[in-house]
Amino acid sequence: MIELYHVWKQYEKPQWALSDITLTVKKGEFCFITGPSGSGKSTLLKTIYREVLPTEGQIIIAGKNILRIPDHKIYLLRRNMGIVYQDFRLLFHRRVFDNVAVALQVLGNPIKDMKRKVFIALRMVNLHHRIWDYPSHLSYGEQQRLAIARAFVNNPRILLADEPTGNLDPKLAVEIIGLFKEINKQGTTVIICTHDKELIRQFGDRILFLHEGKLLRKDAT
Amino acid sequence: MIIHKARYFLKETANNLWQYKTRHLFSLTIICLSFLIVGLFLSISNNLRDRADELSQNLVVVFYLQKNLPSAEQDLIEQQVRRSPLVAGVRLISPAQASEKFLQDFPALKDILMNLQANPFPTSIEAALKDPRVSYEETLRFIAEMKKNAGVEDVQFNRDWAEKIQSLGRLAQAVGFFLGGILILASFVIISNVIKLNVFARKSEIEILRLVGATNTFIRIPFLLEGIVLGIVGSLLSFILLLLIIKLFPLYLGNSLGALQELISFRYLSFSQIVYLVAGGGFVGFLGSLSSLSRFLRI
Repeated sequence: MIELYHVWKQYEKPQWALSDITLTVKKGEFCFITGPSGSGKSTLLKTIYREVLPTEGQIIIAGKNILRIPDHKIYLLRRNMGIVYQDFRLLFHRRVFDNVAVALQVLGNPIKDMKRKVFIALRMVNLHHRIWDYPSHLSYGEQQRLAIARAFVNNPRILLADEPTGNLDPKLAVEIIGLFKEINKQGTTVIICTHDKELIRQFGDRILFLHEGKLLRKDAT
Repeated sequence: MIIHKARYFLKETANNLWQYKTRHLFSLTIICLSFLIVGLFLSISNNLRDRADELSQNLVVVFYLQKNLPSAEQDLIEQQVRRSPLVAGVRLISPAQASEKFLQDFPALKDILMNLQANPFPTSIEAALKDPRVSYEETLRFIAEMKKNAGVEDVQFNRDWAEKIQSLGRLAQAVGFFLGGILILASFVIISNVIKLNVFARKSEIEILRLVGATNTFIRIPFLLEGIVLGIVGSLLSFILLLLIIKLFPLYLGNSLGALQELISFRYLSFSQIVYLVAGGGFVGFLGSLSSLSRFLRI
């Protein structure tokens, strides 16, 4: 469960990137965060994976206050999360296999086990036939699917995606969100930031609206 | 788990070294030259010290006699030397023998000797001392006693030479460490900058590693290994170069310097010196990487 209590974030005075955000995302939930550009969607996501620290407030994940985790222990939090970005953030000089395997290498997984898990993850996103290709040889949609495979290869409890369909055409976007849905069915909590109304209409179980850093409507269905 | 991580680190280090090979080649050259300078001076110093030790083991006092000294007086002086309890053996060297030895040691100076109308070398008595550790003061007393003899023109004691060569050896070592030290400092700065460039070049990769839950150590180890490998490989290359110089230097010089050549020639470093210098190379690389990481890789 992800719980945010009165979270405020200010990068520069006098504007607040987040204003008094209080929300709860239950375990196994599929949730969209939406709102116009600059509304604080990415900042909210970054506070959850502690890329940025809130100015005020508390964030509790699985019963632990993540703001109390020392910097050198943040990796323990991130190992339970998968993160997908709009710009994919792939290693373009590494093959598809290595791009996914990197999430397992940091855990020291044995090679045999790592190969098996990478193959399963790539098969799920239908990229197993491109395993030895370089990301630059993949299409945009395939690159995003690769980023998703890397995010869930170590079965994280939480999957966070920041505008994962921003660069994709509507058909591919539907395909990608469909993938997130499948991952969610396996019990992973999924939070997606997007301003694509069509996707929200089609897939939205729970939608959180942000505007100028404020949470306008909670628990809309 | 440790084995799998170790394999990952080694693979990463090898990949990174290969990926940025041009800049690594540049830093390797600097490290190699720095350690070559240290190695060269250390090798000269080794040679001088060995020579000094050899001389100390065979202490000899040479009494140069006056020219045209009657043979009866020569015999008298020789008897006097032979009677001393410090002396193990005595050898009388005639001017002709001295000239012959000079030509053997300095063949390039043959013409100068031939142009002289008379043999410039005097008759000498070479007295080998019994015990190399014989008291210096006792020997000096013996020399002073012999000098009172009117037939003895000059005395040469090779212990003075041994000490002079030994201090020359120490000087060579000090110069080597000073020059090498400056260059090693330059290597440190270069490694530090190369690692800094590598950190910047791989910023996005580091970002991804952080986000997938890599520890700080996990991210840093390949960079540290890169520095250590550069230091070790650079110093090892310098010893190969040094070996080549040692083999080629006598060929280049020929016999032009005669006995002097033996004195200034390079002697290869001892195993322990090589181990220390290679470890030093690795340490410089490690420190260079560490300084760069602590400044530019704040995770």
